[in-house]
Amino acid sequence: MKFNKVISMLSYLFVLAFLLGCGAEDDVDGNDKTQDVAFQSTKMLNDFANSVVLATYTDLDNKAGELLDAVKQLKDNTTQTNLVTAQEAWKATRKPWEQSEAFLFGPVDTQGLDPALDSWPVDHVNLQSVLDSSDNITVDYVNGLEDTQKGFHTIEFLLFRDGNQRKASDFTQRELEYLVSTTENLKASTSQLRLAWAAEGENFSSSVAQAGTGSIIYTSQSAAVQEMVNGMITIADEVANGKLSDPYNQSDTTLVESQFSFNSISDFQDNIRGIQNVYLGKYINDGQGLNEFVSSKDADLDSRFQSELKNAIDTIGAIPDPFRDSITTSPSSVQEAIDAVSKVQLTLEQNILPLVQSSEFN
Amino acid sequence: MMKYLNFILLVYLLVFISGCETDKKSDSINKTKTELTIPLAGGDTTIFDASSHAFSIPAPNLTAAALHKHLKGDVEFEAVFVTAPAEVNPGLGPIYNNVSCINCHSRDGRGRPPDIDGKLVSLLFRLSLPNNNKDMDGKPPIPVPGYGTQLNNKAIYGTPAEGNVDISYTEQPLLTSEGTKIHLRYPNYTITDAYYPLPEDIEVSPRVAPVVFGLGLLEAIPQENIISNADESDINADGISGKPNYVWDVIKKQYALGRFGWKANQPNLLQQVASAYHDDMGLTTSLFQMENSIGQSQHTNVSPSPEVSDEILDVVTFYVQTLAVPARRNVDDPKVIQGEQLFTQAQCDTCHIPTHRTGVFPGIPSISNQTIHPYTDLLLHDMGPDLADNRPDFQASGSEWRTPPLWGIGLVRTVNGHTNFLHDGRARNLLEAVLWHGGEAEKSRNMTLEMSQTERDALIAFLESL
Repeated sequence: MKFNKVISMLSYLFVLAFLLGCGAEDDVDGNDKTQDVAFQSTKMLNDFANSVVLATYTDLDNKAGELLDAVKQLKDNTTQTNLVTAQEAWKATRKPWEQSEAFLFGPVDTQGLDPALDSWPVDHVNLQSVLDSSDNITVDYVNGLEDTQKGFHTIEFLLFRDGNQRKASDFTQRELEYLVSTTENLKASTSQLRLAWAAEGENFSSSVAQAGTGSIIYTSQSAAVQEMVNGMITIADEVANGKLSDPYNQSDTTLVESQFSFNSISDFQDNIRGIQNVYLGKYINDGQGLNEFVSSKDADLDSRFQSELKNAIDTIGAIPDPFRDSITTSPSSVQEAIDAVSKVQLTLEQNILPLVQSSEFN
Repeated sequence: MMKYLNFILLVYLLVFISGCETDKKSDSINKTKTELTIPLAGGDTTIFDASSHAFSIPAPNLTAAALHKHLKGDVEFEAVFVTAPAEVNPGLGPIYNNVSCINCHSRDGRGRPPDIDGKLVSLLFRLSLPNNNKDMDGKPPIPVPGYGTQLNNKAIYGTPAEGNVDISYTEQPLLTSEGTKIHLRYPNYTITDAYYPLPEDIEVSPRVAPVVFGLGLLEAIPQENIISNADESDINADGISGKPNYVWDVIKKQYALGRFGWKANQPNLLQQVASAYHDDMGLTTSLFQMENSIGQSQHTNVSPSPEVSDEILDVVTFYVQTLAVPARRNVDDPKVIQGEQLFTQAQCDTCHIPTHRTGVFPGIPSISNQTIHPYTDLLLHDMGPDLADNRPDFQASGSEWRTPPLWGIGLVRTVNGHTNFLHDGRARNLLEAVLWHGGEAEKSRNMTLEMSQTERDALIAFLESL
């Protein structure tokens, strides 16, 4: 086919461009000196690493600490009020984690923390076997168990069981012991993750911030910016084509994420908020994000993408709770959410990534 | 999970047209040669990504239907298995090494030995008894009573795991010709917590999880091309033999050329995937219908076979057949160009053969008729006593290993966060990996030691550009 021939000829050209590493000289900085908020790739990468990633992980670790306090309180005094407090603390911890899924690379992956924190499905048979046994449940004991018997979803199962129907009076002593030990394990993982990025720890932030200027992980800024955009695309794809679509297309509630807590809709919204955070360079403090870069090149694209993000979050929010019922009772709302997230994904793939790729970072 | 790579092509074209100085000064006398030898690492399956996603991207030349199948395989590659009975993914174990494909092949990348925590995640140990019968030469390894041919260090609740492994290292110095000391760490493996008596003469072979991209291309190299590089009795007297392994094909029920695994003990990817489900996760398939625990005390209450359907086996096999190969980087760096010349001068390319041409692979046009640059001959070579596992595997002797492909090796740090290389990750960086080469590669190793520091740096810069 003619088209294919053209493509292969083009690919030869672009290969040469890639291989020869052209465009290393000029920095985008220099071109936009006249603007007040000039886009600086170095500042953006630094803000991404610190104001977004590290800030998210710091919040996650703090919230995990509050969750640990809450489950200890529940164990000591197993009242319905303390159960609700612990459930709310779980949801609050879940928020920064889901937002962090827009950047699942680096230590969260290389140190095995993603499976340790977020393995799914829960191994119910093994969990029940442990609860039925007379094994001494300690944090060391739980540390030695498989990832499918710890992390967010095991805690979720223990705290919620089926939506918000769980009664404090239903808890066995061993469930409470398991809950505290597995939450201690989760807290250890979130601390490890925060420290892996923090300056006082392994300082992975600097590997991102110093891309192209000494980082051994990212030998060019382009590679680090590509990492940012890849992360956003991956989670948009997963929400649109996995988390929303799989249970919906197969009408299968067992495929629903965070199904015990009925927290799926928040989870999905937070995934998109994670994309928003990376794009805006903002978690708490507003740093430089990709938006400054995109708007300097194409202001319309920037405003369109920002409204697509907002629309995706709102449209997911319009799905009636709980999601696992809505896949059959309100299919149009789920389809609208899929479409809205797909739009985000498409803009990232077709407009933002090409813009990033065609720009000259060092 | 990423479908956008097709756009990258357009993107790079834009870079090329808009931004590039086309008259970069020629850095090397050998520039013309370099330009000729650096084309697309994976032919039309090549992608341009130096991020941690570099090994996880579908080949950009897949049709829409093929991409759909690939993405289904991607989901299954990440599927986590649990103890039966369960609503989702039951059948794990009862004895196993890990709960999903991705847990060992993290980001479709390379495993490593454990950190100080000692937890085995992406390193496993093959076991066998010595073969004292000449008639059994070239046959599969002899299983160890109570263990089979692999140590399963995990088990579902209430079932004993087979054991664990204590790993320690002893540092030994090597001297370069300039007197620089380089330390290699010699591993020592001791099986601990054995649930059943271990025979004195047990053979133990450590294996880390290898990268999984580009495998379809290796499967598509015509058999005769691989065999044509073999020189078993070293007729050309270059000190390098190169020997095909012939291993059991469980579907065809006959011996076939081995291509995959550290000792080339798997003939094709379908069987490789099915044996990984079986040996590593305790999951049965139509190829391996018996549990890995068969004949052992753990073999109770297992779920009906097959635990992994033919459909899942098919899409996962397709997934590893159709992952893209990342392009090289920094190929115009004079240091890299010098390093490539040294790689050739030291005869590394005799076994790490840079270029192959794939044939027609039935059903997958994307990987057919591609010129690729994997840097391997897929043959066995004697690597000397220091690297030997002393565990024969079909035709592979206790000191023979298959030449591993080198493509993507420079991105392992970005993708997997480490630079542990060789079959058990004992090398802590690429230079150590080179210096571990013995046997047929000893001459090349010695040439590396005789290089100046600058030359050695160039050699490593070349490897990092792959």
